[in-house]
Amino acid sequence: MIKKFSISSIFAQLLLLIFVFVWIAPTFGLFISSLRDKDVLAISGWWTSFTTTDVNEIYRTKGMEAQIEEDGYFIIKDKVFEEGSGKIISRFGITSKNIDEFEVGEIAVFKDGSEISIDEEGNYFWRSKDKFTKKKGKRIFVSATSPPSFTLDNYKEVLLREGLGQAFINTFAVAIPSTLIPLIICSFFAYSLTWMRFFGRDLLLATVIAALVVPLQMSLIPILSIYNDVGDLFGVAAKSFPGIWMAHTGFGLASTTFLLWNFLKSLPNEMMEAARVDGATHYDTFIKIVVPLSIPAFASIFILQFLWVWNDLLVGLVFLDKHPSEIILTAKLKELLGSRGENWEILTTGAFISMSVPLLIFFSLQKYFIRGLVAGSVKG
Amino acid sequence: MKLIKLIISVLTLSIFTSSFGNASSAYTGPDLSGESLTILGPWMAPEDESFRDVISIFENATGATVEYGGSDEFEQIINIDCQAGSPPDIAVFPQPGLAANIAATGCLKPLGPDVKKLVSDNYAAAQSWIDLATYKSENNTNKFYGVFYRVNVKSLVWYSPDNFEDNGYEIPTTMEGLIALTEQMASDGNTPWCIGLGSGGATGWPATDWMEDVMLRSYPPFVYDNWVSNELKFNDQKILDAMDFFGSFALNDSYVNGGAKAVATTDFRDSPNGLFSSPAECMMHRQASFIPAFFPEGLEAGVDYDFFYFPAFAEKDLGKPVLGGGTVLTATNQNRVTTEFMKFLMHPEAHERFMEKGGFLTPHIGVDTGKYASDTFRSLHEVLQNATTFRFDGSDLMPGWVGAGSFWTGMVDYTNGKSAKEVADAIQASWIAGQ
Amino acid sequence: MTIFSLALTVLLGILAFVLFFHVSNFFLDYFGKRSSKIFKLENSIRVIIFIAPAFIVLFVFIIYPVFETIRLSFYDKIGREFLGWSNYAWAIKDPDFRRSILNNFGWLLIVPTLSTFFGLVIANLADRVWWGTIAKSIIFMPMAISFVGAGVIWKFIYDYRGPEQEQIGLLNAIVVALGFEPQAWLTIPIWNNLFLMAIMIWIQTGLALVIFSAALRSIPSETLDAARIDGASELKIFWSIIIPYLQQTILVIWTIITILVLKVFDIIYAMTNGQWQTEVLANLMYDWMFRGGGDSGRGSVLAFCIMIGVIPILGWNLYQHRKDQKV
Repeated sequence: MIKKFSISSIFAQLLLLIFVFVWIAPTFGLFISSLRDKDVLAISGWWTSFTTTDVNEIYRTKGMEAQIEEDGYFIIKDKVFEEGSGKIISRFGITSKNIDEFEVGEIAVFKDGSEISIDEEGNYFWRSKDKFTKKKGKRIFVSATSPPSFTLDNYKEVLLREGLGQAFINTFAVAIPSTLIPLIICSFFAYSLTWMRFFGRDLLLATVIAALVVPLQMSLIPILSIYNDVGDLFGVAAKSFPGIWMAHTGFGLASTTFLLWNFLKSLPNEMMEAARVDGATHYDTFIKIVVPLSIPAFASIFILQFLWVWNDLLVGLVFLDKHPSEIILTAKLKELLGSRGENWEILTTGAFISMSVPLLIFFSLQKYFIRGLVAGSVKG
Repeated sequence: MKLIKLIISVLTLSIFTSSFGNASSAYTGPDLSGESLTILGPWMAPEDESFRDVISIFENATGATVEYGGSDEFEQIINIDCQAGSPPDIAVFPQPGLAANIAATGCLKPLGPDVKKLVSDNYAAAQSWIDLATYKSENNTNKFYGVFYRVNVKSLVWYSPDNFEDNGYEIPTTMEGLIALTEQMASDGNTPWCIGLGSGGATGWPATDWMEDVMLRSYPPFVYDNWVSNELKFNDQKILDAMDFFGSFALNDSYVNGGAKAVATTDFRDSPNGLFSSPAECMMHRQASFIPAFFPEGLEAGVDYDFFYFPAFAEKDLGKPVLGGGTVLTATNQNRVTTEFMKFLMHPEAHERFMEKGGFLTPHIGVDTGKYASDTFRSLHEVLQNATTFRFDGSDLMPGWVGAGSFWTGMVDYTNGKSAKEVADAIQASWIAGQ
Repeated sequence: MTIFSLALTVLLGILAFVLFFHVSNFFLDYFGKRSSKIFKLENSIRVIIFIAPAFIVLFVFIIYPVFETIRLSFYDKIGREFLGWSNYAWAIKDPDFRRSILNNFGWLLIVPTLSTFFGLVIANLADRVWWGTIAKSIIFMPMAISFVGAGVIWKFIYDYRGPEQEQIGLLNAIVVALGFEPQAWLTIPIWNNLFLMAIMIWIQTGLALVIFSAALRSIPSETLDAARIDGASELKIFWSIIIPYLQQTILVIWTIITILVLKVFDIIYAMTNGQWQTEVLANLMYDWMFRGGGDSGRGSVLAFCIMIGVIPILGWNLYQHRKDQKV
């Protein structure tokens, strides 16, 4: 291909850049949100965390328990900000009706005659001629600028949660067989649909394609009933790992077979003929010729099915129990999210943690992925 | 002879007091080592940890193993598990209406008369709690199915005492006073109310709570009961009036934070934030007793926030009605370990352990109220015990497809501009259609 | 279960299937050589070995539930009383059902078309720049995110706050910065469907992109070079050479995405729960199947409607298959 430095090429780059920018903005927003302090997540947009922003906050001073006597006055003093917060106060107030009445450093007087002042860094100084008698402190309203700040606290909170490691392991224990078993079964199946002749083949193929559309929710109850019946018969638990492997195999069968069939169609006739002439059985042909050629297709389907199983929530909820030894990652993260929907920080962080594994696998299988899926839908 | 009499009377006395649930005694149960129990419920973080702590009392006392799993897809999962034949031993229903639906399928098994007696002996207004757990079985006969554990009070208005003080507002003791206060706040330039209906797949439920509170304050309790059973049609004028009363707050852009448009899109968990922001985005928030769990961290009950009773109309003379809700625990089998756990739930210790963690209220009369996590809860306990009329959350009692379906979506439509009549007609139609 | 016992179970599970095929084929070969009767049947037995596991799985997990579904659609909500066609009659009259069909149509028209188109365009563009692989990976990334994650991501885009408040949703922030009033995007009828579709396009374009980008490789470079030397503009090459060449691919991708769209559920469930006139069939089905005790009769009718949507697609695929039969 001739590389040309032309208007068209610049235009193409620009257009692509726009697409990329639009596509990554949402995910980028999520990523930044996961690094923000949880209190600000629902209050300000994620793009504000890059710049110094103006914030209005309310703090409560300490109460009578913290007072000391100095020079004939009773003093309460403390710092409202945490160490290293970097916030700089510009104005403050002592009543909700006028939150920025005073400039920093000015002295404000309460109704009871006591005086309070606060400096830029949040150190306040409250003094009264009479002893402080209230346990409850007074509120100070500050208008401050807050520097960009990010934190890894959210990730710590989620990753160090009890049971998360086990959930990771459980999900792997579900995802790997649920990806490999369909691959094994469907490759033989797809081979026979392409390269073997038998009665009812076309009908079977049509059934597979039709099966692509069957909604998951319809199958849940009938299948779980069967599991329960079988479980009662043999005295084993209905909800178990082998159970969910077969369930995922069932739900992924149609698409796996469809894609494999698409690929196998593209293998040249002559190769198969030659093998037959040499006296090879279908099994030999399959193992020795077809499988090596299909590695790209296998890899592609592996990542797609793995993605689907890893991100699944519903099947995991229905076919496995929710106790710690079996719960999967998506369910665990939803559990952490729990009734406290306020925990947006857990959602954002959890989504990224969960996304990391499929992305990792995707990147490592990149080369196969591109070459694989294609063949079969492409001529020549 | 005297000795025997003494021993018998002491034994009788101890049995008598222990069956009455003396607050200072610890739970003891039969030996159930090796047995196991599964519980499915709607509680997730952090309540699930509190519940697991309660469970550990039972486990330690009996040697049984109990596993609790929570899901916010509870309704879906219990449906699937029941229909497929693999329900948990104990199911915790967030809505009695749903429990009634499931009971009718035969998945739940009735509780014995001994459990029923424990409820009637130990709960304030026990008959109401028993009635609320009595549903039609698959043979269409009424049976007692559940024990209410962890209840909440809903007729509350949350506010910041400091903000009220700054503005010179007084807590209203009548509904007329509340309306006047709302007007006063608006003319002062403050926003009176924070209302948020968002809740994922359950968006709309906070508005149903408003409706129920308004109904209880507008008409005698029997009207409420007829409404909940559909003897009074949903599109009756009484209900339209109640809806419009709610609308007089929620649809007025100057009365509600963010304007009427924001009501349905603001998540119920985010909406109380307006009480605590600077400048304050609203002054009052009507919500159930479990809402403090969603307030910003670091706030103290009684100091940074408090509640007052959502008042009744002075001129209607209907007393002090209280709306509340709760979760009901049911059993899907009649195994020994399941029944023992249900009995355990009626022991004060099972309540006190959760009380200490906060976020828990109970109608149990034998608990030590000193164990509540804060004075706020003690006050709520008083509200519960002193209500002149107590009614359970209506939408939780209506059939599932209405109370957890069209009523929710209907209220969302109402805040989006549909007329009360349109909305009520649709809900009434859906009530009939689903039967 | 300990990690060790779990790993062991996993290994045994996978091994079981590998061994099934290997051992059964081995025995077939072995006995085939010994007995002439078996030798004659060898082909048939081999076919059975190859398709048996998949067929059993297909039957149990797909065919049986489908028949159950169709059966249940004629019964009452708990599957006991036979109701004939009344569930279907209800569906035709139900306004929610009609709106769902309308919405699904909208989805089917817009999403596969746009995803396929964008995928094709981006594949082309990415092919011509040195940072193409990075671009492709970024566009593919949404596919790796679970629907729960996608829901949160787009919440931070579509979020609405009152006009005087600070916006935390990106779209409203831009709108406000340009001087307009913020909107509650997901509540605006008709438009909200488009906003939801945007999410699915955002996800599915990655799939289209990857397939196209490999397909592009198979176009002979001589053809393209010749056209360029002749002075044809890139746009002309795109329309007259690339698209015709990729016809087959375009149609396959369009099929896959169409089927995914027929079943779309999670996005609508997480973002609006079908409110504000965004219902689609899958959400309606979920509502009837699992809310308030469940009505398997009506839920099944809705499932059936989703399933018959595949018939045209099925027909087309079989037609193509007839055209390029192998054996």
